Amino acid sequence: MILDILRLSFRNIRHRGLRSWLTVIGILIGTAAVVALISVGQGLQRAIAQRVEQIVGYNTILITARGLNLGQRIRLDIEAIRAIPGVRSAIAVRTETAYVEGPGGKGFLTVLGYDPAMAEFVAEMNLTVASGRDLAAPGEVLLGSRTARVLGADVGDGVSIEGKKFQVVGVLQAQRAGGFATGGLSLSDVLVISLPELRQLFPGPELVHYAVVRLVDRADMALVRERIRDHLRAVGERNAALTDFEDLTRNIQSVIRGVQAFLAGIAGIALLVGGVGVMNTMYTAVLERTREIGVLKAIGAKDSHVLLLFLFESGLMGLAGGALGLASGLGVAWVATLVVSRMFEAQGAFSPALTASLVFGSLFFAFVVGAVSGLFPAIRAAKLPPVEALRYE
Amino acid sequence: MSTALVELQGVTKIYRLGEVEVPALRGVDLSVLPGDFLALMGPSGSGKSTLLHVLGLLDRPTAGRVLWEGADVTRLNGGKLAELRGRRIGFVFQMFNLVPNLTALENVELPLVFLGVPARERRRKAREILERLGLGDRLRHRPNQLSGGQQQRVALARALVTDPALLIADEPTGNLDSATGREILALFVELNGQGRTIVLATHDPEAAAVAKVRLRLRDGRITEVER
Repeated sequence: MILDILRLSFRNIRHRGLRSWLTVIGILIGTAAVVALISVGQGLQRAIAQRVEQIVGYNTILITARGLNLGQRIRLDIEAIRAIPGVRSAIAVRTETAYVEGPGGKGFLTVLGYDPAMAEFVAEMNLTVASGRDLAAPGEVLLGSRTARVLGADVGDGVSIEGKKFQVVGVLQAQRAGGFATGGLSLSDVLVISLPELRQLFPGPELVHYAVVRLVDRADMALVRERIRDHLRAVGERNAALTDFEDLTRNIQSVIRGVQAFLAGIAGIALLVGGVGVMNTMYTAVLERTREIGVLKAIGAKDSHVLLLFLFESGLMGLAGGALGLASGLGVAWVATLVVSRMFEAQGAFSPALTASLVFGSLFFAFVVGAVSGLFPAIRAAKLPPVEALRYE
Repeated sequence: MSTALVELQGVTKIYRLGEVEVPALRGVDLSVLPGDFLALMGPSGSGKSTLLHVLGLLDRPTAGRVLWEGADVTRLNGGKLAELRGRRIGFVFQMFNLVPNLTALENVELPLVFLGVPARERRRKAREILERLGLGDRLRHRPNQLSGGQQQRVALARALVTDPALLIADEPTGNLDSATGREILALFVELNGQGRTIVLATHDPEAAAVAKVRLRLRDGRITEVER
């Protein structure tokens, strides 16, 4: 009997044609918005987890100023950290502001001390030269693309940094975005010399933007962290914080989840509006079919039958909106990630997530929104006294 | 004396329209015996329809009792009444009141759906009764593809498919031309001849004439009984 009533509901929905579609579209838009946001959000989370693991690695500790502030420098001796048992390798990114003179210009510019080990840790540190070659010997310098223009220098020219002569051996490829590697500065805006030479130019206390420490396999993370803290205390650095892969992903993921929940909440409002649409359609349907309700009751339909008939109608419309919304939401998510991936090429591509819980969750939720919105109209229909319904013109 | 199919004892029905109380029935006593064919006559507002609704267990009296086959059903809950209507009473209306988006066959099946009769048996019964009423070639038609007379015959088939003890008809010929109306009335006579109990309300003297007993109502009271 339930199935028969379900079939009747379906017939009624089809009978209303355009109006049913409009109602379904209301639910569709809401569901699509929620699905798209969640799908993109989950895809982003997954991509970031992978990316963080790529950059940082799971057995890696990041040493920065508190609050992961790469712009503020901290004091540490990277050689001392390298000496800690359990540390396989470590790098510190250090830049200094230096007075630089080139053939066509001069000024205070940022000089990065480069250590080939950096490439292992930070993707951006895989320096790509657009012309010339990499650093190979002392007295050589690489120029960022913008720096080269400022100094009017090219491969083969000489520049002086703090009065010491360097030979330009390469110009770096222009970078769209950057920041992580150099503590906020694009590699296009720096000069790159070897780390030992930077140390010679700027002797004294070593201030770095951040340091990355990689442990040997199965090292005791807690113990190494403790040793690093000991070192920081020894050099008088109080503002540094240690972050490992898990801390980092946890932080990033919680931020993304927060943003995602906020956006999904806004999208949920669209779904709510769709529900109001369902309610409106169903109230109209009850009004229009008052007489029919009376007839159904006269020929033996119980209140519960009438209730189910109308509930199924709104629930089915919700479900239809949910299914179509799911499909279009995934479509939107797919296009959105394509566009975003293209815009931020350097960040690497990511794809929207399609999980079973997303599929069934959104279908179920849309059905519930439809059914709940139809509840009051259905109760009104069920409670109509048969005689009154029959008298209705 | 055999037990009445339906018996009304001092039934009063008062409608409340805001502040105003409108009495539709004032202390009606009536017994409908098995095999009866009653016609309720009277002007608009005389209480015909209300009496019909109370007899058909669609409405509850404000005062008085309704006995169905000897049992007091006045205080029965809505679900029980619905089931009783579904099993024992068939309704035919002036406006036919078929469900517009269902075929003739599906309309006739509908009362059996609410009784939980399996689909196959439902279909068989509905087809059988439609064929008996001469609509064997209209099973798949929707109400708007049928003439008024055909629609009323479908409605009659829907009322009869549960093999009800009591057939109630409210102005069944009111929306039909006279020739078609006579056809429908002939069907009523035939059904009563087969022992079916019928109560109909009508303005139409021709319709009233086919009944065995005519009751005249005025201002909520039965004023005249004519056999």
